[in-house]
Amino acid sequence: MNWIGLYTLVRKEVTRMFRVVTQTIFAPLISATLYIFIFGTIVGSKIDEIAGVEYITFVFPGILMLNIITASFSHSSSSIFTGKYFKHIEEVLVTPFSHLEIVIGYATAGIVRGVVVAIGVLGIGLLFGAVTLSNAPLFLFYVLSVATIFSLLGMLAGLFAKNFDQLAMLTAFIITPFTYLGGIFYSLSMLPESAQFYTQLNPFFYFVDGIRSSMIGISEANVLVGLMVISGLVLGLGTLVTHLFRIGWRIRQ
Amino acid sequence: MATAPILQITDLVKTYGSGKNKKAAVDGINLSIPEGSFYGLLGPNGAGKSTAIGCVTGTHTITSGQITVAGFDVVRDYKQARSQIGLSAQEYNINPFERTYDLLDFMGGYYGIPAKERHARIERLVKQFDLTEHIEKQFKELSGGLKRRVVLARALVHDPKLLILDEPTAGVDVEQRREIWRYLQDLNQAGKSIILTSHYLEEIELLCDQVAIINHGKIVADSSKQSYLEHGRSLEEEYLYITQQSTKKTAV
Repeated sequence: MNWIGLYTLVRKEVTRMFRVVTQTIFAPLISATLYIFIFGTIVGSKIDEIAGVEYITFVFPGILMLNIITASFSHSSSSIFTGKYFKHIEEVLVTPFSHLEIVIGYATAGIVRGVVVAIGVLGIGLLFGAVTLSNAPLFLFYVLSVATIFSLLGMLAGLFAKNFDQLAMLTAFIITPFTYLGGIFYSLSMLPESAQFYTQLNPFFYFVDGIRSSMIGISEANVLVGLMVISGLVLGLGTLVTHLFRIGWRIRQ
Repeated sequence: MATAPILQITDLVKTYGSGKNKKAAVDGINLSIPEGSFYGLLGPNGAGKSTAIGCVTGTHTITSGQITVAGFDVVRDYKQARSQIGLSAQEYNINPFERTYDLLDFMGGYYGIPAKERHARIERLVKQFDLTEHIEKQFKELSGGLKRRVVLARALVHDPKLLILDEPTAGVDVEQRREIWRYLQDLNQAGKSIILTSHYLEEIELLCDQVAIINHGKIVADSSKQSYLEHGRSLEEEYLYITQQSTKKTAV
């Protein structure tokens, strides 16, 4: 394992993240503050308790998850895509990295950004009194595994996209709808029965439900199914992205 | 005692597209470049020079054939093979927002060089390429000549055995070009093997001891610089004659 190379790749990516700190850190924190304030404080004060907790407490894990997803996905997708666009991904391709090391390096950087944003959102949640923690190890598991999944998905999107429009298309038509329809702002029980069935087919539902259960101790999904979906996605996406780097899909001519 | 070639290319084929659109950019080339050479690779635009270089460095996949660098197969032993190569690409493959120092530091890190050793090497290269005043600048802020010097320094940060320079003086003024020539001659005299592609024939004539000409994806000439000059023509005249003849043959 090229440990120094791997550390350098992560360091370079994290440096890039802090170089555009307004875009990568402050913007999501401002939007999280607005979400918590509007949906938690203004709208939430008019809504009865859900599953025995205040609306702000119920909705906060979803807002946290939304920000982790966006941060991890956008970091790795932009790293790969701009690397292709400016050709500087070649500096990684010509150096003695294994395909797996490249994937681990970019994925770790996306995870780091997801975690940094998560810490910021948790801080804001504490100010609004929205944070509870029921199971800390499970909470860490969900934060890290969801950040990993979206970091890998971001890499996949970065490899796939040939232009900025295709990159935006993936976010607009796949990531955003699946995320918002995964139960960030509502409980499964609020939906009609048929919609409940379709929601349970959405893997994003298990991410939101998992982190919510680790924070407020209430789960609407089958926890075992959720853990299997999450573990399967980490392994499946990791294998797929490593394979695509091995064959040089859309990065090696 | 004969030394093993620093670069051995055997029956290299690289095609693009499929079916009717399939096109061979490199069509069965063979090259054996001895260690310590200053090797010129000439050819018109689209002849296959950059594609062949891409196959050696790993930016291109290989359709068929074999390439070894210092004895390491670039597909099977790709990590060891890539450790032997320093690349200065034709197009800048650099993030324009990175600082000069970081560009060198990151590249050294990718090659697994420990921090202390890396910083010492960077300090030497910064002095050697007169970059001291520019290490804090972003790459996009540098002039054309400075950019080329940074790219060269970056290619040398891990002390490679083989330096591949694809159009290293393109867009550089005469004075700075001469300066780069001096750096390259020093490096070669210190034992570094160098492959140089350029459209400046006088550059190849001045620097290289061996010259290969590639046209339509094939090697159409490969010998010592002196043998090109034996007919009483300049290297430029000889190059034009060989490429025109090979183009006629291809057309037939």
